[in-house]
Amino acid sequence: MSDISATMDFRRRDARDKLRGRTRYTMDRYLPGMLHAAVLRANVASGRIVRLDTSRAACMPGVRAIITAADAPGKIGIGIADHPLFARDVIRYDGEPLAAIAADTLTQAQAALAAIDVEIAPLPAVLTMAESLAAAAPLVHPDWPNYEVLFEGGAREGNVAWEATVVRGDVDAAFARPDVEIVESNFRVGRQNHVAFEPRAVVATYEDGRFHIETSTQVPWTIRNATARILGVAPSRVRVTVPPVGGAFGLKFDLAIEPFAALLARASGQPVRLVNSREEEMLTCLFRENADIRIRSAVTRAGEIVGREAVVLMDCGAYGGEQIFLTTMTAHTLGGNYRLGTTRLVSRAVYTNTAPNGAFRCCNGVYCTFALERHTDEIAARIGMDPLAFRRHNVLGDGDLGATGQVFEGNVLGPMLDRMDTLREAAAPSRKLADGRLFGRATTVGTWFVFVGPSAATINMNADGTATLVTSGVEIGSGSMMQSLPQIVAGTLGLNPDDVVVRAADTDAAGYDAGVGGGRTTVSLGAASLSAAQEVRTKLLKVASEMIEAAPEDLVMRQGRIEIAGAPGSGHAIAEVATRAQARFGPVSGTGAFTGAGVPAMPGCVAGHFIDAIDIPVFAVHDCDVAVDPETGQVEVLNYRVVQDVGRALNPRAIHGQIQGGVVQGLGYALHEEVTIGTNGRVCQNGFETYRLPLALDVVPVEISLYEGAPSVGPLGTKGAGEVPILNVGATVACAVANATGKRVQELPLTPPRVLELLLARNGELGHPHIAEAWVDNLVRPHGTAAQDRK
Amino acid sequence: MVLTLTVNGDHRASVADPVTPLVDVLREEFHLTGAKPVCREGFCGACMVLVNDKPTPSCLMPVALAQGSDIRTVEGLGSGGTLTAIQAALEACDAVQCGMCFPGMVVTLTHLLATSPEATRDEIRAALSGNICRCTGYERIVDATLSALAVK
Repeated sequence: MSDISATMDFRRRDARDKLRGRTRYTMDRYLPGMLHAAVLRANVASGRIVRLDTSRAACMPGVRAIITAADAPGKIGIGIADHPLFARDVIRYDGEPLAAIAADTLTQAQAALAAIDVEIAPLPAVLTMAESLAAAAPLVHPDWPNYEVLFEGGAREGNVAWEATVVRGDVDAAFARPDVEIVESNFRVGRQNHVAFEPRAVVATYEDGRFHIETSTQVPWTIRNATARILGVAPSRVRVTVPPVGGAFGLKFDLAIEPFAALLARASGQPVRLVNSREEEMLTCLFRENADIRIRSAVTRAGEIVGREAVVLMDCGAYGGEQIFLTTMTAHTLGGNYRLGTTRLVSRAVYTNTAPNGAFRCCNGVYCTFALERHTDEIAARIGMDPLAFRRHNVLGDGDLGATGQVFEGNVLGPMLDRMDTLREAAAPSRKLADGRLFGRATTVGTWFVFVGPSAATINMNADGTATLVTSGVEIGSGSMMQSLPQIVAGTLGLNPDDVVVRAADTDAAGYDAGVGGGRTTVSLGAASLSAAQEVRTKLLKVASEMIEAAPEDLVMRQGRIEIAGAPGSGHAIAEVATRAQARFGPVSGTGAFTGAGVPAMPGCVAGHFIDAIDIPVFAVHDCDVAVDPETGQVEVLNYRVVQDVGRALNPRAIHGQIQGGVVQGLGYALHEEVTIGTNGRVCQNGFETYRLPLALDVVPVEISLYEGAPSVGPLGTKGAGEVPILNVGATVACAVANATGKRVQELPLTPPRVLELLLARNGELGHPHIAEAWVDNLVRPHGTAAQDRK
Repeated sequence: MVLTLTVNGDHRASVADPVTPLVDVLREEFHLTGAKPVCREGFCGACMVLVNDKPTPSCLMPVALAQGSDIRTVEGLGSGGTLTAIQAALEACDAVQCGMCFPGMVVTLTHLLATSPEATRDEIRAALSGNICRCTGYERIVDATLSALAVK
């Protein structure tokens, strides 16, 4: 059918202009008559708006439009519509928008913001999950019962925004067995900032009763639908197009600043540009959430995990957003690596008066994997088993059950561990690199998945022999849109990938798409594109068969020609066939659509989940050596190795780039990057001086082995490869540091002060008093009972 | 007050407030958007330009101080449609991902190529410590620089 091998390792077509500074990202766009916008934000964590008077600001020089809560009636959310565009009467976090202004210049807009008269009466705030879950805690959303529920099934109460549970088997009986050791571990992680280099940026116009939003996003259709909902207009009134995106990592998977610009464009009648300042990005980005985790296992001396229970508290900040959806992930990130006899898990999204959190590369997975792998090492130590042998004995294989009762296909993790053994043994001994410092090594496993979801593609065959691929996919830097998709289309149609034009995302031109993220681009958009290309191929072969007087099944499409198989040089150029087809039947096009069929959970096993089981599991094995300086607490990663399950590697060069970059972002999470909330409720790291990103001097080259051949429903056997590389970096470094120091690592990142505290045993054992001792006491609603009566 | 700047060999007039950061004048007045104001603190290097051949974060330089200097932005490197040696090496090594940091990277590495033809891997890493990349994990960038140095 298609010959992808002919177009492997296609180079990036977008590199040249990026290297010459010619690429116009959203933040670089200018339109004639364009206004500049700025947003007024609250400076208290919790309060009541007593007065918000914009009349003085409206008279300021250059001001063309001002909008407030009165202009944006709707609320958005995932699961529950709890999030208004502007604070209305109540302020729930420091940084929450209060008003927005468009003016001739940015300086004028900012000056006018300062002229808005605001009076806020402070209210008590809950800044941590422990405070939020306390018995007498003020409610972040007292009027929650009146909100619209967008997805049924989650339990909630007080400041618990959503609760998802898994129960499989009789866990109490497993823990009561006389032949088991019970191992319990507690973990805590802070927030991580995506630091996408292009801040969230938008240019909006309003013409002929429709909004046109050019924006830096991963999810054009989400922006279209959510903007319409906030503005109270029909979704078809909003068109979203997307220029090249300057980094995202999940940050741009949710509605951000688009409705401000849209409303200001309508109010002023002029184009409006709004670009978040770096400080706004640092203070209000949808961080990777902080989390508190307790995990407990019953394990036999022989190394069988007969029971496991866990409580995962995920801080969603002031609004539920993606955290509500992400409660689903715990089942797969905590429960998808190892065979478990029985299990019960609860993950709770908890409201606090802090900036909202959101999706970030391997959302939920990085800290659940950190917790799981550290816990696994603690189990191995308790029963006196080699940690690698324990993993090899317990990793999921063909026919094994995941946490939700999903049946896994194929032996993947076991052979990947073997592959890692080979890599490790072939490497030069690294202990001497530690040079007298404490040396540690660790190998961890991780399970992630492709978030499949719906995608559409159209291919227009041009009479000049090129093909135009029309999708709602966005190039965010991974190369999926600029490399993988053209390879798939070109391989199917016998073209050079350079002859496949990739249309920039436009919701007026292409069908629905769930967004570029979750490792789904090559899989879902790839499958839709493959299907569209196959339709084009069938049509062209039919026309060609008349021209060549040969049956379509005897023809091949290769190197820009349609020829009789086995007779190179016979037949016609594809351009000739396309031209003939256009003249006789009209222009040739094809359409394709794809979505995951969905894998069911075992009946009664899950509650409050958005996805019961995972469509395409993706596995990873990581290994590293570290040196810890006992005097300074400095951790140096000496080397790093990755074996990653990629299904089939369409573009190994691009995948290698994603793995190197993802591991380095993970090293940031493991060693440097930490967002903290001050006692005033404000994020403490407002710039690059206080938020430490990995630099060129911090990194090591990652040794990479791509594992191919695991089952996948992705096109041509592919799986998503860009999301996964960050998954078990925190886990691997943490386990290696624990091995180096002999200390119990329970928190990330492992900054020098934290490592020193660990070495000096300063802080004692981490506990979670706000997590109830008995698992069931952590539930709003007993697992398996009906949805709560929403009073 | 009108300021006169020499940008990529052209003499250009600016009406900006003298304390305006150079990056904003380049972008907003001259529409040279190659330099990106990412951190505005001089840490990330995405707004790097050559001022009298020296890599300089244009977010920290008031435009008035740039008068009388030879300013070169990424748009002024190479000629016509051709790539410079370092640009060609970065393309050939598949170093580019989202690309936002690359105009600044190219400026820094252009200087490195001109001044440190014998640079080692570690010296290249050190030279890049003022240019942050969030996507690539740096290794391809270092590889590309070594290959550009070898060609040179």
